[in-house]
Amino acid sequence: MNEPALNGMALTRQDRSEPLLRSGNSNCGGCGMSNLMQMLRRASAEHELKMVVPACCAAVTSGGFPESAFSIPTIMSTFASAASVATGIAAVAQLNEEKTRVICLAGDGGTYDIGMGTLSAAAERNEDILYLCYDNEIYGNTGGQRSSATPAGAATTSTLHGKQETKKDIIGIMAAHRIPYAATISLAHIDDTLRKLEFALVSKGFRFLHILSPCPTGWKSEPAMGIELVRLAVRSGLFPVFEVFDGERYQINVEPDFSGEALTMYLALQRRFRNTGVTEESLRPSIERYWNYLRLMSGRIVPARRN
Amino acid sequence: MSVELISANHAAALAATLAGRANRSARGFCSGVYPITPSTECMEFLCGQEIEKGKVVRADSEHNAMGICIGASAAGARSFTTTCSNGLAYMVENCVAAAGYRLPIVMSVANRTLGPPWNIWADHGDSLLLRDLGWLQLYSADNQEVFDTVLCAFRLAEDPRILMPVLCCMDGFILSHTMAQVEIPTQEQIDRFLPPATIPQRLDKAAHTLGQMETPHQSVVHRSQHHQAMLGARQVYSEIQDSFTEIFGRRPADPLVSYRAEDAETLIVSMGTLGVTAERVVDQLRDQGQAVGSVRVRMFRPLPDTELRQLFGGKKRIAVLDRDISIGFGGALWGEVRNFADRDSIVQGYMIGVGGGDVRPEHLLNLLAELEQSEESAAPKIVEVA
Amino acid sequence: MAQKKTRSTPQSSTTKMVLPDDITFPLEIRLHGRGGQGGVTCAKLIAAIYAQLGLNVQTFGDYGAERSGAPVRAFARVDRAPIRNRNKVYQPDHLLVLDAALLAPPVLDGVGAKAAILLNSPEAAEKYAETFADFRFGIIDATGIARKHGIGTSSVVIINTTLVGAYLRLLELPLEVLEDVYTGMGLEDDLAAAKEAYQKVQVCQPSPRATQKTAKTTGGQLETCLPEVKPQTEHFEDIPSRLKTGSWSTQLPGYEDYVAPCNHACPAGNDVVGFIQALKTSGPDAAAEVLLHTQPLPSVCGRVCPAPCMHECNRNQMDGAVNIRSLERWIADHSDFRLQPEKAAKAFSLAVIGGGPAGLSAAWQLALRGHQVTIFEKESKLGGVLRYGIPVYRLPEEVLERDLKRILALGITSVCDHPVDKAEMARLHQDYDALILSKGFSDAYNLAAAGESLDGIEQGLDFLARSRKSESGENLVGDVVVIGGGNTAIDCARTALRSGASSVKLVYRRSRDEMPAIEEEIQDALREGVQLLALRQPVAFRGVGQVAGIVLAEVELGEPDADGRRRPLVTERTSEMNCSRVLLALGQQNTLDLLPDCWQIRKDRIWQKDQPLNIWLAGDCATADGTVTHAIGNGRLVAMEALAKLSGTESTPTTTPQGSVVAPAQVRFSHFPVLAPHQDRHRVLETYQNSFEEVNLGLSGQEEAERCFSCGRCTQCDTCLVYCPDGVISRSENGYQIDEDYCKGCGICVAECPRRAMDLRDKGLSDVR
Repeated sequence: MNEPALNGMALTRQDRSEPLLRSGNSNCGGCGMSNLMQMLRRASAEHELKMVVPACCAAVTSGGFPESAFSIPTIMSTFASAASVATGIAAVAQLNEEKTRVICLAGDGGTYDIGMGTLSAAAERNEDILYLCYDNEIYGNTGGQRSSATPAGAATTSTLHGKQETKKDIIGIMAAHRIPYAATISLAHIDDTLRKLEFALVSKGFRFLHILSPCPTGWKSEPAMGIELVRLAVRSGLFPVFEVFDGERYQINVEPDFSGEALTMYLALQRRFRNTGVTEESLRPSIERYWNYLRLMSGRIVPARRN
Repeated sequence: MSVELISANHAAALAATLAGRANRSARGFCSGVYPITPSTECMEFLCGQEIEKGKVVRADSEHNAMGICIGASAAGARSFTTTCSNGLAYMVENCVAAAGYRLPIVMSVANRTLGPPWNIWADHGDSLLLRDLGWLQLYSADNQEVFDTVLCAFRLAEDPRILMPVLCCMDGFILSHTMAQVEIPTQEQIDRFLPPATIPQRLDKAAHTLGQMETPHQSVVHRSQHHQAMLGARQVYSEIQDSFTEIFGRRPADPLVSYRAEDAETLIVSMGTLGVTAERVVDQLRDQGQAVGSVRVRMFRPLPDTELRQLFGGKKRIAVLDRDISIGFGGALWGEVRNFADRDSIVQGYMIGVGGGDVRPEHLLNLLAELEQSEESAAPKIVEVA
Repeated sequence: MAQKKTRSTPQSSTTKMVLPDDITFPLEIRLHGRGGQGGVTCAKLIAAIYAQLGLNVQTFGDYGAERSGAPVRAFARVDRAPIRNRNKVYQPDHLLVLDAALLAPPVLDGVGAKAAILLNSPEAAEKYAETFADFRFGIIDATGIARKHGIGTSSVVIINTTLVGAYLRLLELPLEVLEDVYTGMGLEDDLAAAKEAYQKVQVCQPSPRATQKTAKTTGGQLETCLPEVKPQTEHFEDIPSRLKTGSWSTQLPGYEDYVAPCNHACPAGNDVVGFIQALKTSGPDAAAEVLLHTQPLPSVCGRVCPAPCMHECNRNQMDGAVNIRSLERWIADHSDFRLQPEKAAKAFSLAVIGGGPAGLSAAWQLALRGHQVTIFEKESKLGGVLRYGIPVYRLPEEVLERDLKRILALGITSVCDHPVDKAEMARLHQDYDALILSKGFSDAYNLAAAGESLDGIEQGLDFLARSRKSESGENLVGDVVVIGGGNTAIDCARTALRSGASSVKLVYRRSRDEMPAIEEEIQDALREGVQLLALRQPVAFRGVGQVAGIVLAEVELGEPDADGRRRPLVTERTSEMNCSRVLLALGQQNTLDLLPDCWQIRKDRIWQKDQPLNIWLAGDCATADGTVTHAIGNGRLVAMEALAKLSGTESTPTTTPQGSVVAPAQVRFSHFPVLAPHQDRHRVLETYQNSFEEVNLGLSGQEEAERCFSCGRCTQCDTCLVYCPDGVISRSENGYQIDEDYCKGCGICVAECPRRAMDLRDKGLSDVR
């Protein structure tokens, strides 16, 4: 039975008494990044954290000087520098034999685009950093322009009729660095989310987690539907939930039903896909292609388990 | 104390190494580095050192080298890096951030021309990019000075009254690649001179956020505090000089190095190695009976305005040499110091050695001879050196 | 920010129009709204309108870093001369407040005497009449209108284009200019909302008695004492940021009275979700405690109830209904829990006539509340239809006795072998404070077919009663035909099979799908060897003295009748079949022949002329519903009504709980793992002849309770808490509480709640401060 959620963790000291992201923060209602922070809180009760936030929504979230919406020591880095600033912090923690876990909390712009070089370098050096990319598929902080994480067919303020190019395969890129751990996280699958966050927190070396982060403002969707949208993205196969160990061992964690119903619903619930010509049929080939690749990499031609 | 024959780049790196070791009882030393000619030797030297509780991270860019220094410093460690020219230009954004967080990072710059078109030789245009960004700037003229300056820079940067990054400049190749004897103190002496670094705002146990959003009012107050703290650096530096003298038995150079300037009628004002050449010319002209003196501006930020005004008082002619050009304006040093002169002084700006030309005494003698003939200040002149 | 990309402001053709006299220039406009409402665009629209009228305009927002929901300002300035003012607006001529909750001093700063104020609020103008007496004041529910027109999302409604309609009306500008501007900016879709606002805005003119006092003006003056700012180098303390983000939203989640379909469907009024959840979390005793409040006969209903709850169970839409009936049985079979009667403030003495389910239920409810109850039963034992109408292989004697024992343990007196006639009725009426008459059905229906009086043809109920009363059951031989499709028919058929019949055929006039009998019972009957002849209507019996055959006509189904079942149409096609016994199970009728002559029934109460007597009817004799569960529900209801009348309190109890029923679409199926229902175990015999042992063995465990969605009823599953993006939900003693100061009203908790135990409510608007 799946109740209470997370095996009743909310009642235990496994859940931090104080959230990492305090209530009274400036994020939009229904923000996926807020959701992620609430999950991270549950995974991190036993850890001392320090956080680096590059320019992104979370940089505003932290609150105005001198207040702090994050309940952990945090530094706002420049846009492209999250992983390098974290490198310095992690190095000093190591020099001082501290157990501090250093986290980067970065959006897709700071990860896929401007911070890509920094990220790649830190991954190549296998720095002891947990990098969380909360991906709302848009430059949300600047009002919703396309990034290389924006999926094809999504209208943004810089691609009014829908982006033409497909989304960058960030996990593929990270896996190619042969880092110890790279995984995608579906906020709709909390047990899987918690397991991955916990695993990533105790692992050493460079760890990368990609979180599909619903953005009601940018996706032009109902704030209440955020988690359901992630669920639909997972169900339809659009957002595969899997993990890669050492860049080699692929494991699929949630088996989609690949239903057209889920895909159609996913598109219909977001006005960013309206009138851009994107349809279930137009997305199907790329989903299939990617899943064929995933099955090949995971060595599982037959679906693992339904979820 | 020992004497070693080393390049200025190595002197800077050695000073940083000793300073890094000196923080072993505190939170250690961490540096992010990236190569660029002519600063490369400095980073190479650093990469070859064993530093107790120290780590040198080989970064992927200057931007991230500074990012690593920011992280290290924000975590409470002593931090140092080196770059120049386009590397510094690429780093500027994070230099702004380092200053904004008020982190005591020390950086050595072997000044080099910005490109393209590419040019690897000396020019102050790179470090001048940071002029208004909240970094202290010190320009050296010889190897010992480079070594001493880097040591003093850590003391300055980490002083609780200052707490901001410091830039230590040396002319690329002209100084950076020149080997000369440098007096190297013992680690024990260095430990005495550089107490463990304390960075009060560092990320420790308490939740707080560095570099977050602020209101216009908060920004103006923070800038004002930064500005006031930097102005205080002149006083703090003089205390550091005293302490340095006491421990090492020699006094590091003043913010303004004046040479036979008091009774001079004509002054040559310059930064970096140009000042040494100027001093040779002064000697030459003094021998010919001309009352010429030199002022080398070592501390460009904060600019010692009172002292400059004092030195400029009563001078008939002042030649300001800039190894840089603020295109569309003139020399940067000239633009800043000309206002300190008396109303009836003739202040003439010269941009000389721009792009790395080898400025020799003849060049200075020529332009001084011309200056002696002039009756009023003219537009700043660009001087070609063959 | 803007809900769509507006084209640049049209400048090509201006609209010729006379401006109202009281507009003076420069005109300064200030808007106060919340991020996401479209305040900046609203100011732009207003500026565009003045531009359309040929005036110089400027408009700009006051940008902060906060997001959707945070207070924001926007400005517009209009003049005949070129505008050279680059400052914010400190003394607005027009003030637009996009959210009434913002009406605090900073919003009203600098608002001068002749200002016009427009407020977005669903409230009546009167509420603000005093506050804004000195101003021209308009009020409009722009949020409601925009939401209706689908502009924005339901939690972040974009009201700018709507509000401008109201603004035009406030200034007495004609709509025509709006059409020009909206068309020019590609906002045609929003015109309807703007027009509706134009029509609906309430405008109040400044009161003539107004003293023309000016609002307190602090705007325009430079603040002289700015707060101290810590240097970055001394910034190392934890100062939590606590923006009161609760003020950003218009909606708040909370528990809502949603009713599970099972609870809604239960004729007995059982708290089905309640007892299943209690079983799941605390075991059979806890479940029994919930169940027994409405259900005195759980062992019985756990076996024989048609379980309408299961028909309505939302799990039918996923992987099959929860086996509620058998869970009830499980509880009854595994708990000896006893409810303790209350002490009545004033104990009444009541008689219940008829010891069937309705009477037992009424007696139970009365006794639980501390009243004296006597049951009069004409048979030698209590139980009524339970004892004499339901075969023991379905309802074993000891099971019935267990429930009866629990009932009587409340101190109820039972007087058996005590038939009540008219005279006795009158006597009891004198002796007791009130009577509850629950004598059940009387006669069974006949078929009215030729030959019905032949020997071997009888009412199935009589057969069943005889079968129960005799120790060894009745011996039957030959071919038996049972006529009917309800539970009695099935019971007759299966009993006949057990009594020695060589074959049993069940004749039913509609199709199998229409059979009112419990589906599982039909399956059991078929499994045991009963043959079903559906769509057949007996039209005659053959035989001499003793029935020997039956003539069956084929039936076709026509249009649905009043109860939704298709009407049977008897055809001319007939066939004959041999048989030696016929059992009729066609239902029962309802006649009351024990009332004294001058008494009449009105609704469910007995009246003597125009005087109501303290005699109520309960169960089948009142309702003819014909199931045990209905009888129990009605018995309880009538008992409560009687008590209410006796004690002089007003009470209108209902069997079904109030509130909206949780629809399948409101259950989040993705939360629940697919799990087939746990089926009852059956005793499988080679032959059922002479075996009256209980066939259905019920569930093997209580795991089935885990399958319950608990529709509409919080199970404290933590889903809302875990998914709340802002961590404002916390556990409270009986569920969850929401920190209203910080809840942004995103509604994820409601959307993610697997069982619709919560809903979003519009917040009451705060008072003008």
